[in-house]
Amino acid sequence: MRLALWWSGRALSAAATLLGVSVLIFAAVRMMPGGFAETILGPFATPEQKAELAARYGLDQPVFLQYGHWLAAVAGGDFGTSMISRQPVADELLARLPVTAELTAFSVAAALLLGVPLGVLTAVRARPRGGAAAGRLLSGLGVSVPEFVLGSLAVFLFSRYALGVPAGGYVPFGQDPAGNLASMVLPSAVLSVFALSATARTTRDAVLGVLVEPYVTAAVARGETPWFIVRHHILRNAAGPVVTLVATITAYLLGGALVVEYVFNLPGIGSYIVQAVGRRDYAVVQAGVLLAAAVFIVMNALVDLAVGALDPRLGVTGKGAA
Amino acid sequence: MRHTRPAVGVTALVLLAAACSPGPGAAPGAATPAPAKPGYLAVADPALPGGGTLNFQVHVDTGAATGLDPQLADVATSWQLMSLVYETLVTVGPDFSIQPMLAERWETPDPTTYVFHLREGVKFSNGRAMTADDVVGSLKRLLASKSVWVGQLGPVKSVAKDGDAAVRVTLKEPYAPFLAALANVPAAVLPMKEVEDKSVDLATTMLGTGPYVVGEHRQDVSWSFRRNPEYWAQGRPALDAVNVTIAPEEAARIAALQNGSASMATLGNVDSAGMLAGAANVQVLSQATTDFYYLMLNTQAPGSKFADPRVRQAVNLAMNRTQIAEVATGGQGKPTGVTPAGLPGACDPATLPSATGGGAEAARRLLAEAGAQNLSFTLAIYSTEPAPAVAQVIQQNLQQAGITVKIEQTDEATWAGKVYGKAPAEFDAALSWFAGYADAGMVTKWWNPDVAGFNAGFMKADAALSEAIDAAGKATGAARTEALAKVCQEADRDAQMIPLVTRPVTVAYRTDALSPSLYATEGYGNVLRLLPEIRAKKAQ
Repeated sequence: MRLALWWSGRALSAAATLLGVSVLIFAAVRMMPGGFAETILGPFATPEQKAELAARYGLDQPVFLQYGHWLAAVAGGDFGTSMISRQPVADELLARLPVTAELTAFSVAAALLLGVPLGVLTAVRARPRGGAAAGRLLSGLGVSVPEFVLGSLAVFLFSRYALGVPAGGYVPFGQDPAGNLASMVLPSAVLSVFALSATARTTRDAVLGVLVEPYVTAAVARGETPWFIVRHHILRNAAGPVVTLVATITAYLLGGALVVEYVFNLPGIGSYIVQAVGRRDYAVVQAGVLLAAAVFIVMNALVDLAVGALDPRLGVTGKGAA
Repeated sequence: MRHTRPAVGVTALVLLAAACSPGPGAAPGAATPAPAKPGYLAVADPALPGGGTLNFQVHVDTGAATGLDPQLADVATSWQLMSLVYETLVTVGPDFSIQPMLAERWETPDPTTYVFHLREGVKFSNGRAMTADDVVGSLKRLLASKSVWVGQLGPVKSVAKDGDAAVRVTLKEPYAPFLAALANVPAAVLPMKEVEDKSVDLATTMLGTGPYVVGEHRQDVSWSFRRNPEYWAQGRPALDAVNVTIAPEEAARIAALQNGSASMATLGNVDSAGMLAGAANVQVLSQATTDFYYLMLNTQAPGSKFADPRVRQAVNLAMNRTQIAEVATGGQGKPTGVTPAGLPGACDPATLPSATGGGAEAARRLLAEAGAQNLSFTLAIYSTEPAPAVAQVIQQNLQQAGITVKIEQTDEATWAGKVYGKAPAEFDAALSWFAGYADAGMVTKWWNPDVAGFNAGFMKADAALSEAIDAAGKATGAARTEALAKVCQEADRDAQMIPLVTRPVTVAYRTDALSPSLYATEGYGNVLRLLPEIRAKKAQ
């Protein structure tokens, strides 16, 4: 019952958030300088052609009406039609989703499989100052160097020196599975640097926080092995912030890894949105942002559930606190 | 043409990284192009067997908002891709002479009549033979359309069949660029039977007589073309297939060339040749074009700083086109007047008053006469290279004449909104480029806003200039060269749109994958013009 109530509250909150985002993005794209007609049709377009384009996509109507029509259509699952490709935006997003999802999956997997052990290791072995400092420096660098710097360096190095991994371009999995995996190595690696570093830092901080807890001291006093202590006492109690972070990163990446997709010329959601912003393709930008917001909302709800499962005291049903 | 701010950083970073790479002398395996025929940058080796695939990368897709209708295509990127499928009655040779295409010959019994004799055995890719009705219908459809190309086609009076294998076009008055205008994609021969019975929608489907047919198209992602089995030219095209990848980021195209996933690509940055200098098996060529940059001075904004022609002429005098060409285009561009440098009959920009009039000092005097000694204005540009570099040279040139220029760099959409979004337009000065086409008189028409309505927001028609443009359209032979020179003089004086330098295109290809044919100079922005001749060196 409490879970049902919690889900109802979440759904209401999500709907309100999405409504707010829809208003903001709808207004924002129309406040961007530069007209869609000049951009999409080019400089040679006549006033009649511009008017025809506006009428075709309902952009000649009052803004409030435009918003109402758009919102009603979105509620019915219709995200509109791209003014550039003349294709339904939902179809275009779906066609690009596998690329973005694959990129996200690889990056998050790297963050989890490498970042968490690294964070634990640098925390439990924090005594040697040099190692801890090096770890902090590396993870600091990882979170602070922009993706476009790493991406363009990777593109240059891996294409200039033929290091065996393709630098740019995308091969669909169905066409060539090995080629697909190879084409995702560099973009995923670049994208995972931030995720990995942030995960390592967060894990380290969380583990350090748990290490000073009395139950850890007690476990040591009981003579439990270090690995047992890490697995049963530290990781479980330190998992909350890490799960939250990884979920946030996942949501961010699913919304489109804008820069990396653009630099590596991957036909994902991110590069689609970048191009749509540049061309003032309103329906695409609106749908892309709304999708990203929805992903964030869903991921946040999942995080709350996951954290509750890991630590019932923080659970959504409040059973642990009872 | 569409880049984001991160992209500027990316390019800068790659440039930096390239600076650390071995120079041209250290390039292992760098190939030297075979000596080409006059007028050609490269000539494909006919001894190579046919077959194979061209993997080509460009920065932007067709302007698909107007659909895939070739008659509405108004940008060179669209023309290039559509030329794989569509063909015209005539085409242009390496020296811009008009050459047969779907018309195997033509006659001009008088200066206003053209009779085109159609090539036999031409079929659309659906297997139906091309007829005179297709040609007549296509031209009539174009003339009735809203295409910008109607203005270039000239004063066509009538189009009619002349028997089953010929078409007669009658003009209202002589018009020298007529054949050159027929040589571009908007004048392509369309499958009019299918268009009229609505079995083909040209906005969404490409069906032509050209060497390739469309396999698949994902807007802004890729195209795949395969050989047209019905193609009329024996033994052509040599390549079985063409894959086009849309890669907006220049660094990605460079990487694709380096790692071999692209066998050919066009590049925008003049420094890209340096970036690829150390790459094995990559040849970089600079193809001259008739396209050119020009500066717009807005005379129509209320209280315009450029309403006084002396102020515009001062700006014109103070600019050093040679320096712009050297610095901003790496010496690959050429100073030009309104008749594009490189085209037969084009005027010599070095003889124009703006080049001989005394430079910055003369500009200062003119400004003083006009009471505009402390002139300052904002120059609107977009971020695509080399526009920022051109703007910076202009800024430094004008500083010598005491003119302060503030450069306002925005994305292309913002720029387009300022320049073309409203009338009067909301900018002081702006930088852009025009395709220069294949006849020296064609682009001059855009200097008359009564013909080129898209310019009316920032310039007004100048009677003497418009008269000179019309006269050049009607003139022939030596008289035409004089008439074109007059157009140059008038445009130089009017100075509402000031021609600057030509815009070269960098073409790079893998020497281990491709034996290309390329003209030395291109008029319609079509790097793939000689695609049917291009041969692959290995099966891909």
